[in-house]
Amino acid sequence: MNRGLFLRELRSNAMALLVWTAVITFLTTATMSLYGIFLENNAKILAMVSILPEGALQFKGVSDINDLFSVLGFYSANNVIYMLVLGSIYSIVLSSNILLKEEYGRTAEFLLSWPVTRGQVFFSKLAVVVINIVAINLIITVAGYISLETCKKEPYNIDAFLIMSLYTLLLHLFFAGLGLFISVLVRKPRPVTTLSVALVMVLYFIFTISNITPDLSWAGYVSPYKFIDLDVVNPAYRIEPVNALYLTICPFLLIFISRRIYLRKDIYL
Amino acid sequence: MSTPVIQISDLTRRYGRDRGIDKINLQVEEGEIFGFIGPNGAGKSTTIRVLLNLLFPTAGSARIMGFDIVRDSKKIRSRTGYIPSEASPWPDMAAREFLLYCASFYGVPRADRKIIELMEVFDIEPGRKISNLSSGNRKKLSIIQSLLHSPGLLIVDEPTTGLDPLMQQRFFDLLRSENRRGMTVFFSSHTLSDVQMLCGRVAIIKEGRIINVEAIETLRKKQLKNIRIEFIDTVPENLADLPGMENGVSVSGKSMKFTWSGDMKSLIAALSGKDIADITVEEPSLEEIFMHYYN
Repeated sequence: MNRGLFLRELRSNAMALLVWTAVITFLTTATMSLYGIFLENNAKILAMVSILPEGALQFKGVSDINDLFSVLGFYSANNVIYMLVLGSIYSIVLSSNILLKEEYGRTAEFLLSWPVTRGQVFFSKLAVVVINIVAINLIITVAGYISLETCKKEPYNIDAFLIMSLYTLLLHLFFAGLGLFISVLVRKPRPVTTLSVALVMVLYFIFTISNITPDLSWAGYVSPYKFIDLDVVNPAYRIEPVNALYLTICPFLLIFISRRIYLRKDIYL
Repeated sequence: MSTPVIQISDLTRRYGRDRGIDKINLQVEEGEIFGFIGPNGAGKSTTIRVLLNLLFPTAGSARIMGFDIVRDSKKIRSRTGYIPSEASPWPDMAAREFLLYCASFYGVPRADRKIIELMEVFDIEPGRKISNLSSGNRKKLSIIQSLLHSPGLLIVDEPTTGLDPLMQQRFFDLLRSENRRGMTVFFSSHTLSDVQMLCGRVAIIKEGRIINVEAIETLRKKQLKNIRIEFIDTVPENLADLPGMENGVSVSGKSMKFTWSGDMKSLIAALSGKDIADITVEEPSLEEIFMHYYN
């Protein structure tokens, strides 16, 4: 790893980290502040949900409407959109651009003509990606915990909350690996932000469709979301070893392959 | 005999089916200012990018200061400076910040002092954001970053683009003074006047192949001559078809003008007995010599 490059990357990505963290924290806490009103309008909400098409709640990862009336269920339903989708977009955009921006910005012609190996560039940037993702997850987990403690009307399973937060972190690391992998495959230097965002949305859509349509449930395994257990209200909620293994091994593999490709990649400017 | 600073052997780089460079062979000796000229798309930048390991060679090999360009790339880069043709430093940085960032990679002692000195030479404000700098000022930063660590070899790709004549002169003076201290320069350009002014030897690249490597002086002293002949009457027929008479033969009334690349004896023989009023023989400019190779 190269210290100068690492610190420079950390600084140049600080603003994006700040903005994304602020936005997701605000959305999470603002939505949680509606929990009390949600409970008070219990009957009206049940009536409204009854006219929604079947599977509409699945879009927010909710299989049973009654789960929403527990504080953790309510948090989880919002967490899906804010952390599992927006957070994944942040992770993939950050990682898919961190190497590639040196190429389309033509700064690689400086950076890679200085005495630093490709491996050092890769690991310095990877370290920044991991630190940023851990940071955003830590801050939002703390903000989520404070929201839950503030809004709760009855006790909730804190372990389930922590497990869900861990799943979220692993998912973000998966998308970070995927972003790096996409970026090293790009030959013509250009930003891949649109492609990355679209990929997250498509994978989430596949996951949702596979949940709604029993015939397509197999297709869900294409998406990493399938390996996230969202049933936090279930008393037996725990870390599934297979899921955790999948979400740990895949990013490692993606990062390992990306590094191999990057070491031999032609830098077109 | 010392090891050449740059030793290129059959270096080839293709872009799929497209040509990049083809079996390039070159040798640049220590202390030279070596010119590398060719038009846009001839393969100059590709050669440089392969030497710096931004691109990988398809075939062949090259060594810089005895190090292999692929295996020992980092060692090479710690001893080499590079001025890219299009200078695009990180736009969010200030000028001085960029140079300090560069110096941190090389571990330049007393970098700040050297940066201030060079910024004064090139007249750049240290605190100016790169995004607010003109292309010429960015080029100056690019020049400064390449020299901060006093490299043994400086590779430059179209270095004068965007520089005003005064700055060009300062840059050339700096190159000459660093060269006197032992720095070798690999100077790639399509601006012949720059090459002519600085370089001792030059390689001419055309369509990815080296077509000639010569000392600038030898190139000038080649048999090429610009000849103008005034005849008393009209220009004799068939004279324009003589082998050795280069393209651009212009005949107007009683006079003809051409570049001669053949044996002077055969020209004199062809002209003997003709009614000549006047004849002028001149050395061609480097530009004309260059065009000769390209046509």
